[in-house]
Amino acid sequence: MSSISIAQFHKVFFEESLEGLDAMESALLALDDGGDAELVHSIFRAAHSIKGGSATFGFPDMAALTHEAESLLDQVRDGRRAIDKSIIELMLRTVDCLRGMFDRAQSGQPLADADSENLKQQLAAAVGHNTPAAAAKIAAKPAASSGWIIHFRPHAGMLAGGNDPLRLLRELAALGQLVVEAQLDRVPTLDALDPSECHLGWRIELTGAVSQDAIKTVFEWVEDECDLTIEPLVVAAPPPAPAVEAVAAPAAGAGGAAGTARNAAASSNDAGSVRVAIDKIDGLIDLVGELVITQAMLDQFREDFDASRLALLQHGLAQLARHTRSLQESVMGIRMLPIGSVFNRFPRLVRDLSQKLGKQVKLDLVGEHTELDKTVLEKIGDPLVHLVRNAIDHGLEMPDKRRAAGKNEVGTLRLEAFHRGGSIVVEISDDGAGLNREAIVAKALQKGLIKSGEGLSDEAVGELIFQPGFSTAAVTTDLSGRGVGMDVVRRNVVDLGGNVAIKSRAGQGTTFTITLPLTLAIIDGLRAAVGGECYIVPLVSIVESVQLPADAVRSVTGGGELFRFRGEYLPIVRLHQQFGCADARQQIEEGLVIVVEADGTQIGLFVDELVGQQQAVVKSLEANYRRVDGISGATILADGSVALIVDVAGLIRLQSRRKAA
Amino acid sequence: MGAKSKSETRVSMPADCRMADVGELHTQLKSALGGSQIVLDGTTVDRVDTAALQLLVVFQHEARKRERQVQWAGVSAPLYDAASQLGLAEALALPAKKPA
Repeated sequence: MSSISIAQFHKVFFEESLEGLDAMESALLALDDGGDAELVHSIFRAAHSIKGGSATFGFPDMAALTHEAESLLDQVRDGRRAIDKSIIELMLRTVDCLRGMFDRAQSGQPLADADSENLKQQLAAAVGHNTPAAAAKIAAKPAASSGWIIHFRPHAGMLAGGNDPLRLLRELAALGQLVVEAQLDRVPTLDALDPSECHLGWRIELTGAVSQDAIKTVFEWVEDECDLTIEPLVVAAPPPAPAVEAVAAPAAGAGGAAGTARNAAASSNDAGSVRVAIDKIDGLIDLVGELVITQAMLDQFREDFDASRLALLQHGLAQLARHTRSLQESVMGIRMLPIGSVFNRFPRLVRDLSQKLGKQVKLDLVGEHTELDKTVLEKIGDPLVHLVRNAIDHGLEMPDKRRAAGKNEVGTLRLEAFHRGGSIVVEISDDGAGLNREAIVAKALQKGLIKSGEGLSDEAVGELIFQPGFSTAAVTTDLSGRGVGMDVVRRNVVDLGGNVAIKSRAGQGTTFTITLPLTLAIIDGLRAAVGGECYIVPLVSIVESVQLPADAVRSVTGGGELFRFRGEYLPIVRLHQQFGCADARQQIEEGLVIVVEADGTQIGLFVDELVGQQQAVVKSLEANYRRVDGISGATILADGSVALIVDVAGLIRLQSRRKAA
Repeated sequence: MGAKSKSETRVSMPADCRMADVGELHTQLKSALGGSQIVLDGTTVDRVDTAALQLLVVFQHEARKRERQVQWAGVSAPLYDAASQLGLAEALALPAKKPA
């Protein structure tokens, strides 16, 4: 029995098509900059795949739109039409429109809207025909024969692959008149039948002015899944009377399409997926093989072991450690994706923005192959977009201003990603005017963020723009003034365990440097003992740890405790109280205070002692138990016991809530 | 659902009669071969695919081999069209005329 549904392939189709759209967009933009003919081919290929896929998976509106785009591209490809700005613009709009359609397909809404219909008509008008019927163009191609005999024998797995011969025969029926003869010689018994396997074959006579290419196009998506021969019809006799079988009926097909679109919505709620390169998988399999060999070797020692073989045992254990480490790295590598997928959206953004603002911008992308954890990658997009918008809106000057300042009229915006230590660094730099020190200081004074602008270093002025609610834009355009400031950018990056720094030089430009951890699945932390328990404090949050004399701590009304640290009073959170640990040290002078920082706020965590530094593999507490305030996850220690990972930002929020109460 | 009178077994095909959902139909058809007269009801079918039609063809073959009588109580237009398109109308012993 089988329960294979075509809907399970929708997700892959969506992912691949969205990648295809990205590729189309990049190629169109490159073409806009005077690229070569190969680009047209790659755009055509992307459009063609999307068209085929959308027809197969039951999205006829999408297929119809892409068909028109493909026809236009075909004319360009054949040299019947020169590529110009208007075509590129039309194609870019098609890319946008298709993205919208994919969004709607994923949420199960109808795909076509007024925009897409309008665009389809514009494309059709550009192609030079107003009949959007998919088959019309193919059928109109010059005939090479008055008919064809097609032998079509699907492989057993074709149905399960989501390709239905019924759909193919309907497409053939749209080309000409069909006489279909089913071959039933290979059908099994009812008991032996697996309904998801195909045991039928067909001999099809197609009469009409149809080219062989048109027939091949129908079978293009299944050519690896069937035996297919197409021969010219030898008898040039008058067309035979259409048999009953030749009646084409697309009604059921349309109904089916609506059904599959709904299924798509149901499956789009699945957890995200990562497509992994085969060589990465092969590497993993190799490593697991090594691990099995090492284990077999170590197993021998269990049977007969004496001290003389100690060296061998040590060697085996060292090998085990090495393989485990490599395996860990390889597995983490599966989650790593090149940052290029995020960078790719910028050429379009920069093009549109610079046109709108009348600025000239050259975009340099460097280090697109630098790999980042998928989760980090998904969350870094928005902050980067914000920084790039800012750089073009506020950083780069208008061409006349640049000329007056003796600079090239074309401003340069550079996005660069690279590894530094255990981190990934993304730099966004422009050669614009730099931060407007006077405006920032004036605004900060007005907002009461500083008392005076005297003696502020450039770094300190730069820091001001990260303050909540800070914006110096004199006019709120649709670029700035969205209520999202640099403080949100910083918070998003800090949430990912990274940070943002700014460097600016008047007249020379501004550089934002985002530092991100390689992965979120493993963190570096300090192991702290509290009573009989162990807690992991993430290293990135730790400022320092201090041992305090008893008189350094003051109790305040309401039950809180404060201590003085570098001229400021910080609250103390006693972890044993917070998490209810028994047998913990109570006297301040007997334990340690770890000063931690998150969201720009510092607090002190009181623990018994620090045990050591360690890498912690983060396990979700929510998935295995439930959410606990102040805890971000758990990890397994070397002795098999569980240690909880302290959520510093969460503790600080708890502390400020307590203070407010 | 198969409702049995003396020796007549009736099998109603579901409205969505496609690969993902033909498992139950397969089971019903297998057990229907236990009776001597089988009535297939395809009146409510509005979606059908090659996998489902192949299942019906195999069933008809098997029924003929075992000398069972199979009759159609009704055939919907989508079922008729799909079977005709695939050249299976005869193998399925569909009525000669397309339903209105």
